[in-house]
Formats: sequence, structure tokens, C-alpha cells
Amino acid sequence: MNQLNNAFTLFLSLLVEAIPFLLLGVLFSGLLQFFVDERRLLALLPKNPLLGSLVGSCIGFLFPVCECGNIPVARRLLMQGAPVPVAIGFLLAAPTINPIVFWATWTAFRGQPEIVLYRIGFSLLIATIIGWVFGTQKDVRPLLQPALASVLSYRSQASADYSSGTSPLLQSGTYFLGQSARPLITDPSELQAAMVATATKPTGYRLRLLLDNTIQEMRELGGVLILGSAIAAVIQVFVPRELILGLGQSPVTSILAMMLLAGVVSICSTVDSFFALSFASTFTSGSLVAFLVFGPMIDLKGVGLMLSIFKPRAIFYLFLLAAQLTFLLTLALNLYIS
Amino acid sequence: MARLSFRSLLPWLDVMAIAAWGIALLKFWLTGQLFLLIHPNYGWLTVGAAVTLLLVSALKAFFIWKASRRPGRQMPPMQHLSLFPPGWGSLLMLIMAIAGLVFTPQAFASQTALDRGVAEAIPYTRVKPQAFRAASRSEDKNLIDWIRSLQVYPEPDAYAGQKAKIQGFVVYSPKLSEQYFLLTRFAITCCAADAYPVSLPVKLTTGDRKAYAADTWLEVEGQMITETLDGKRQLTLQANSLKPVPQPKNPYDY
Repeated sequence: MNQLNNAFTLFLSLLVEAIPFLLLGVLFSGLLQFFVDERRLLALLPKNPLLGSLVGSCIGFLFPVCECGNIPVARRLLMQGAPVPVAIGFLLAAPTINPIVFWATWTAFRGQPEIVLYRIGFSLLIATIIGWVFGTQKDVRPLLQPALASVLSYRSQASADYSSGTSPLLQSGTYFLGQSARPLITDPSELQAAMVATATKPTGYRLRLLLDNTIQEMRELGGVLILGSAIAAVIQVFVPRELILGLGQSPVTSILAMMLLAGVVSICSTVDSFFALSFASTFTSGSLVAFLVFGPMIDLKGVGLMLSIFKPRAIFYLFLLAAQLTFLLTLALNLYIS
Repeated sequence: MARLSFRSLLPWLDVMAIAAWGIALLKFWLTGQLFLLIHPNYGWLTVGAAVTLLLVSALKAFFIWKASRRPGRQMPPMQHLSLFPPGWGSLLMLIMAIAGLVFTPQAFASQTALDRGVAEAIPYTRVKPQAFRAASRSEDKNLIDWIRSLQVYPEPDAYAGQKAKIQGFVVYSPKLSEQYFLLTRFAITCCAADAYPVSLPVKLTTGDRKAYAADTWLEVEGQMITETLDGKRQLTLQANSLKPVPQPKNPYDY
């Protein structure tokens, strides 16, 4: 009974500490959809794959969203013609490289500021490398879901027509889509994008969209946060300490365990540092960093959302690359630095 | 009158879930239970979030109410990539908020201290002392101050003979004999999830530790000595007087 009480106290403390940050993240991501004009931003992006993926990784600063908010944004970026390295860099880094996540991680790991720096550095490095790797694929459409690929085909065809057919991307058989100005909007997130992007709507209407958006995200992410906090509390209180210490003190198993946990728990990146904090005394620093770097990139919830952009094969590549890089970097951290 | 269906009630469920969390956060703050959950530095964040949540729910309630009075001019419901079936996220939030309202958080006690390794390691505080000012009188130092002093200058003999008056709760360490117990407090840097115990061994001059039940809060006065406990030389408080005190409103230290 006492243990149950402790677990519930722990659970509540995680929630009470995390909810303000979650709310901030949700409000900011909603607000920025109003103020940042993505199309103008796209005109400024570099075409070089390496530079593009680096810049893409950094524009998370403009859209402080966690991994649930960034997928629709990455999708919109792709649809509006952003280079692939930019979109991938953004997709992987935006949940971590943003001011609210900095602040939350800093709050949680005030005692170990190096964790904050490793988290940012590794995320930036991994996202840039993966974005660069995907940049070598000249035609990204085979990796995308058919609906999205056809939007891109239509776009490239239209632009190729415009520049008198010099584009190598013209080899596409889907020209019948060109009969309408734009394929039908069938996808909810695209619909949402279209609705939010309409700057012509009156401000009152847009503010109500913001309100609805806030409520929807709070309820989605709040639900995940509650499940995640419950798992953290139960593990801390009910799993025997010897088991956790045995797993958490070895440089290799600790990283694997935390990466697996990150993938399963799917907790939002604005609040995952509080989750990791509950393992701070028993797990190696490298494994905590692995949790904080890998979780925002790939997790069960995120994979579900990513399926709205990529084919499973592409997600598998993303997963493989991200997991290997995270493992190697944090293992180096465990073995050589801390 | 609109027909009541599960779907038409969903927006109200959202409103209730968000309002309930606003109320729950305010309750923790007003009853002082917030001290048991998070570091006081972040109390303002909680209060701010509570007010914002209440505001959001009030606005949404107002719009739903207005929309229900003017049928036909409804906003198209905004779709969203969703993970839970409709209503689940809100229902979960609502239930947990109500549980939070009913439940009184509990300060961690000796069982947790033992689970978190109070008996195993030399206690170190995680936030390193940035500036170090020695209290002018050693009796004014609290438990954490003593641990920080040890962290800066670990030689126990340096403190021998100094007077001390510290508060904490009793933990029976399986590694210590009947004459000793650990006077313990939890320190937190962020929230209860990272609470870690710090403790000093207390040596009883008369009787054994059974007179002081585990988890009792005590104010112990005495002087510092060096003892070899569990194979390590350790700073130990030799007790002259032990006085039971009520559990402080804010049982953690920082």
C-alpha cells in the first residue's frame, strides 16, 4: 500500500512538473503556425544537401514543436517543395532543437548540465548526417506514401513545364493529376495545414482555430504523458533495485535498455527529460543521453504519425540509421568521456 | 434542443479534462502539497499552467455554449492526427485529475531511502555548491550543509568535536549495528522523481535504536566524531539529545 502511494506521488510529481512545459510547447507551436510563413521560409533554404540538412535541423527553433507537431510540419514542408535533406533534418531534430525543450531539459538536469549539451549536439549531428544521406536519393518519391508522392509529382511537373522541360524529374506517369489545379484534399493534417495557412480568414476565426488546436494537442499529448509517467513511476517503485542497477550500470545494456524504453514510451520531447530524470541515479549518463536523443526521433507514436509521410521501408532506414548513430555516439560517451 | 449523443458530449469532456487539471494544480499549490511534488523554484510554472488551463477551458466552454445556441453556424471540427480513439485522451486526463484531487501525496520515507541506496554510497548532493559559505556556528548547519561541507572537504577528523543540531527522519540501515541509525533527508533538484536521500549516521550513547522507530522525525543535538562504519571512516553525530519533531511542511531539502 505504501509502495502504491509512493508510486502515485511520483507519478503526480512527474505530471505536475511536465504539464506546464507541455502546455507551453502546444501554445507555441500553435502560435508559430500563425506567424511564420513557411513558403517565404522555403525560398531562403540552401540547396546543398549537407547545408540543407543542417539548416533543416536548426529551423526547429522557429517551430518549437515536439515530435507530434513536427510531422505535419515536415509534411507541409515537403509538399511545398522543400529539399529532402531539409525536411528530414527538420523531422529528426526539431523535437529536440527548440527553446522549450532546452529549457525543460535544463530544468530537469540542472545538476548535470553536460547532458543538455550532449543532447543538443548529438541530435544535431545525427539529424544532419541522416538528412545528408537521404539527400543522395535524387528522387525521393519512391520512399513517400503514394498520396504525398503524387503531390510532389504534380509539383515537379508543373515547375518543369514552367522551365521548358529540363528537369530530370519529368519521368512521371501521373500527369492526369494535372487536370485539376490540386489533388483533392483527403488527408486531415493537410486539411488542417490548408486551413491554418489561410491568412485571409478573420483573426477571430484563426484564434478559435488556435484554441481548438491547443485543446486537441493537450488531450492527445496529455494522454501519452499520463501513460509515460505511469510507466516511469511503476518501474521506479516496483522493479527491484538490483535488476535496474544491473541493467543500468553497464555501458552497453544501459544504452540499449534506455533506447528501447524511449521507443516504447513515446513520451513527448518537451517533457521526456523529466522521465529520464527518474533514472538519473541508476543509469549511465550515456544511456540517459541516448534516451533523450533517440526518443524524439523514433518512437511508437512517432512511427504511427510518420506513416502519413513515408513508406515503411523509408521509416525502417530512418530507424536503423538513427538507432546506430545514437548507440555509437552514446557508447563513446560512456566509454571515453564519463 | 440538440440530441445528446456521445459525439456531442466529446467537446465537453475536453473542457472538463482541461479544467480538472487546472483545478488539481491549483489544489496542490493552495494546500502546500506542491512542496511534496516539485522543487519550489518551479511553483510559479505550475500556477501559471493552472491559470492558463482554466482560461482555455473557460473559452472553449463559452464557444461550445455559443455554438449550441446558433445551430447551423458551427465551426467545421478540426481533424488531427490522433493516437487514441475519440474521447480517450480526455477521459484519461479527467480520471487522473480527479485522482490527483482526491489523493494526498506522501513524502518519501525510509523504505524509499533504502531503495534508493541510502545505505550504500557516501551521500553526495547533486547540485554542486557554487559558493561556499561556512555557517558561522556549526549548530546552524542543516543536514545538507553538512553533506556539502563533506563534499568539499571529506576528511571527517576535520569536523571532530564540532557541535551540531540537525533534523531528519530515522532510517535503519542493515549495515549498521543497533547503536546507530541514519538521520536522513531527501533532496530534490527538480521533482520527486529525482529525490535522493542524504544521511549522516547517528551514534546513540545510551540504549539502542529501537527507541526511535523508523520514519520518526527527530532533531538530534550532539557533536561530530569519526567512526569506522562498514569498513569506512565516516563522520558520525554522537547524540546528546534526541527530540521528536513534527514532519516539516516541506520535508525535502535542496
